[in-house]
Amino acid sequence: MSGSTHDTAHPQQDHVHGAAAKPRPTIEELKARKARTRQRVVGDHETITVSMGPQHPSMHGVYQAVVDLDGEIVVRTRPGIGNLHRGVEKLAEHRTYHQFIPVTDRLDYLSSFAMNHGYCEAVETLMGVEVPARARYIRTIAHELCRLSNHILWLGVHIMDFGAQTFFLICFRDREYILDLFEMLCGARLTHSYCRIGGVSKDLPDEWAHRCLQVADFLPKRLAEYERLIKANRIFLKRAVGIGIFTADDCHAWRITGPTLRSAGVARDLRKDEPYAAYDEVDFEVAVEYNADVYDRFLVRMKEMRESCSIIRQCLENTPDGPYLADDAAHVLPLKKYVLRDAAAMVQDFVHVFKGPQVPKGEVYRAIEVPKGEMGVYIVSDGGPKPQRLHVATPSFYHGQAVPPLFEGEMIADVVGIFGSIDVVLGDTDR
Amino acid sequence: MKAVFDALEGRFAGRLLGSDFFRGELTFTVAPEDFIEVATFCRDEPSLAFERLDCLVGNHFPGRRAAPFEVTAHLTSVSHTTRLRLKVTLAEGQKMPTATEVWPSANWDERETWEMYGIEFEGHPNLIRLLTTEDFKGFPLRKDFPLRGTVGGRIRTDLKGKI
Repeated sequence: MSGSTHDTAHPQQDHVHGAAAKPRPTIEELKARKARTRQRVVGDHETITVSMGPQHPSMHGVYQAVVDLDGEIVVRTRPGIGNLHRGVEKLAEHRTYHQFIPVTDRLDYLSSFAMNHGYCEAVETLMGVEVPARARYIRTIAHELCRLSNHILWLGVHIMDFGAQTFFLICFRDREYILDLFEMLCGARLTHSYCRIGGVSKDLPDEWAHRCLQVADFLPKRLAEYERLIKANRIFLKRAVGIGIFTADDCHAWRITGPTLRSAGVARDLRKDEPYAAYDEVDFEVAVEYNADVYDRFLVRMKEMRESCSIIRQCLENTPDGPYLADDAAHVLPLKKYVLRDAAAMVQDFVHVFKGPQVPKGEVYRAIEVPKGEMGVYIVSDGGPKPQRLHVATPSFYHGQAVPPLFEGEMIADVVGIFGSIDVVLGDTDR
Repeated sequence: MKAVFDALEGRFAGRLLGSDFFRGELTFTVAPEDFIEVATFCRDEPSLAFERLDCLVGNHFPGRRAAPFEVTAHLTSVSHTTRLRLKVTLAEGQKMPTATEVWPSANWDERETWEMYGIEFEGHPNLIRLLTTEDFKGFPLRKDFPLRGTVGGRIRTDLKGKI
């Protein structure tokens, strides 16, 4: 684990927190701060119940939070989900492993490549398929682009929650560049279905690497512009610093992962801890912050975006030549361009489409670091072409669950900001 | 992984009903009445330190007449970067102790498992339907539940003012 990023203070840090660099708080201090917010809840006053959502403009989807208020302070929260439930796990049991890939797009529709990737990694672990080096690099690039697009969208929406409409449009403008890259790559802007079991569906198009490099060089400048606009903005600081504290112990108990966990001083990143794709061959730092509040979650995501740009640059430089889909007739669909020319490929295609891949008996649980946290896929196989059971442990499901302890003792005005800072997408929550 | 195996075998020798090792992942089967004790040990023992429950999943095997249901808990240790799977098999109608006391995040997982499979969790603070509507009949992820049909899905209006 590499958690030494905090010692080298960011140049703008002084500007934000005053003259001296802010000392790193201990776990005890954080707990004391959280306890202070909870102490605001006093006595058996009469409470007012306010229902936010499921059709609330700031609720990032159809999430309901019924909040009991004592004055302006949140005493209790009853979350409600399920409005977007599509029964993905039941569908999975009635589809072959290949057919399920487009369904994973609809889990977290804002970072659908990450969902494809997590599912394919799990299936490959189960089948024992080795992914060729080129495909691993392409997946790494696509996954980081997906992380960038997710975080940029998150940033725009999060700042809009605090009342800045223009910033949302600035973020959407920059997200377009990434969506254009995805469109060149696989033809789709939102639901990519780009991953295949054993690799990816298409090779990098001509000129794509050049365009992608341009975006990776250009985005850090945009990130600097974002920071200039909001990092030291007084309104944002007032509403983000010290708000929504969630310590590392709380995060573990409520299974909170991703940037929210890293903002509490835990250098946990599956890209480092359990490397997949080409993450063990690139050099990057895990973004860690220590104050565990809304502001530090913002800082962690900004650092992550810079690291993503660096990872993309490194991967584009080192992408090896070679096949982008594994040569494994028992588990992998053949390339479409060979199906009508080569008899063996045609038979392979026929078997995979009408029957399905050959899968060993057994069960696997594979987790990867998607933009919102850790997404785990649990597959039980009884040896048939369809999974006996497939469960997707998505980060937003658990983040949505942790809302009552997060809101407790906070002001009603901060509820929207705190909910935005943990980055919940309801397609991911309800599945 | 060897250390995890040895620690659990050393502490619960004879009470673990089985173990499995597949694709680098370790699975232990425990009896339902031992589950909480094993889980608490896994969380609190410093050499194991499974501080997080990654997910808690139900499963249904209609072919296994005696114990058709299965609950699987995936534990994760952030400090040791290890994983462990604990498995419990249950008969129809047999209850499972709740893990919400050990890991609060088990709350929604158990509600989901209950609504999808009908596996009841004893001591759960709020065992009500989570993803489906209040009037939904049946347990949709059981293997005998059809993929298509029109069950539930009606929006209730008689609950106005009660929620």
